[in-house]
Amino acid sequence: MSLSRDVDSRTDVDDVRRAAGGDTAAFERLYRAQVGRIHSLARRMVGEEDADDATQEIFIRAWNKLDTFRGDAAFGTWLHRLGINFLLGWRTSRGRDRERLRQNEVALDTAPARRSDAALRLDFESAIGRLPDGAREVFVLHDIEGFKHREIARMLGVTEGTTKAQLHRARMALRQYLER
Amino acid sequence: MTDPWTDRLSELVDGDLDPATAAAAEAHVTECAACAGIVAELRAVARRAQELRDRGPARDLWPGIAARVERQETVTSLARWKGLRKRRVVFSVPQLAAAGIALLVVSAGAVWLAIGSGAPSPTPGTAPAVVVSAPPSLTMAGYEPAVRELELVLAEHRDRLDTATVRVIEESLATIDRAIAEAVAALGEDPANPYLTGHLATAMRRKLDVLQQAAALAATSS
Repeated sequence: MSLSRDVDSRTDVDDVRRAAGGDTAAFERLYRAQVGRIHSLARRMVGEEDADDATQEIFIRAWNKLDTFRGDAAFGTWLHRLGINFLLGWRTSRGRDRERLRQNEVALDTAPARRSDAALRLDFESAIGRLPDGAREVFVLHDIEGFKHREIARMLGVTEGTTKAQLHRARMALRQYLER
Repeated sequence: MTDPWTDRLSELVDGDLDPATAAAAEAHVTECAACAGIVAELRAVARRAQELRDRGPARDLWPGIAARVERQETVTSLARWKGLRKRRVVFSVPQLAAAGIALLVVSAGAVWLAIGSGAPSPTPGTAPAVVVSAPPSLTMAGYEPAVRELELVLAEHRDRLDTATVRVIEESLATIDRAIAEAVAALGEDPANPYLTGHLATAMRRKLDVLQQAAALAATSS
């Protein structure tokens, strides 16, 4: 497993070097290797509707920044972080207000209190997409991507208390969509 | 829902409570069936989140990315060229003569291209045009000799250019060649597609532009 990762990492470094020199075939290989992870991140962070556009923008941004990749971390890690930064800005760039992160309980309150037949049909991933922006971002970053509250609070420019409250609300809402 | 511990249960699950608060919360959960149930569900939600699998897009996004990347690359390369060309250069008489020859070849190439493609002859002072609606085989007939001539001029004076400049030229040409090859391959499957024909014509014109600029620069560099 680690040998395979080492080989992948070396291949990535070679391809990053080639891509930084203008080799689009090398960049396509990097794209093919990473698109699943990046698209999943985008889908969960900004929703199904915007995920394709956001994914394309992330790879274009990566192409333009390849010369800043130092190889300290794996290319996938570097790209993933670049993607998160981009996606956090996406909501702002779309005219949405960060204040909603603090005051978006309405949408959560409208979630069904008990599992209904409709809710049963909705899979867990789709349910994440129905969370309000702030709760969804915190849930994705904490429970799926593994960031700590301290890091998330810094990324979002809010307090740890806010991110903990948002995470709890997201989990409470998602309980109804667990497969049993 | 009025239970004061309910809102702290995620912190309990994550181990984010201080030891004293965590002990009090644990004691409450052992006695409160509702909170115990919620804790179990919160743990299940967190576990389910970890089990999610990545899934790629329903459609291939690469063609859109590739088109933008190639466009950027060409624009960047040409911008570098324009920057290089804006430098003040003092030419000797032999250099000017060489530049004249290069321009002659460029013009000949443009006419050759136009004739070969069946297009109307370009009027003096205008850029050569590739007829978008022309079948690729006709366009290629005039295009390839023009490209070869320009490549010969470039090769002859290549040693006058610095390494970085040569690299920019080679990268630009390689990128454009890939775009041309892809367009030709796509046209093989869909010969009547006007978009692909236009795309091919644009890429070919771009290659001529780069070669013209490169050949002229090489001919006039000392």
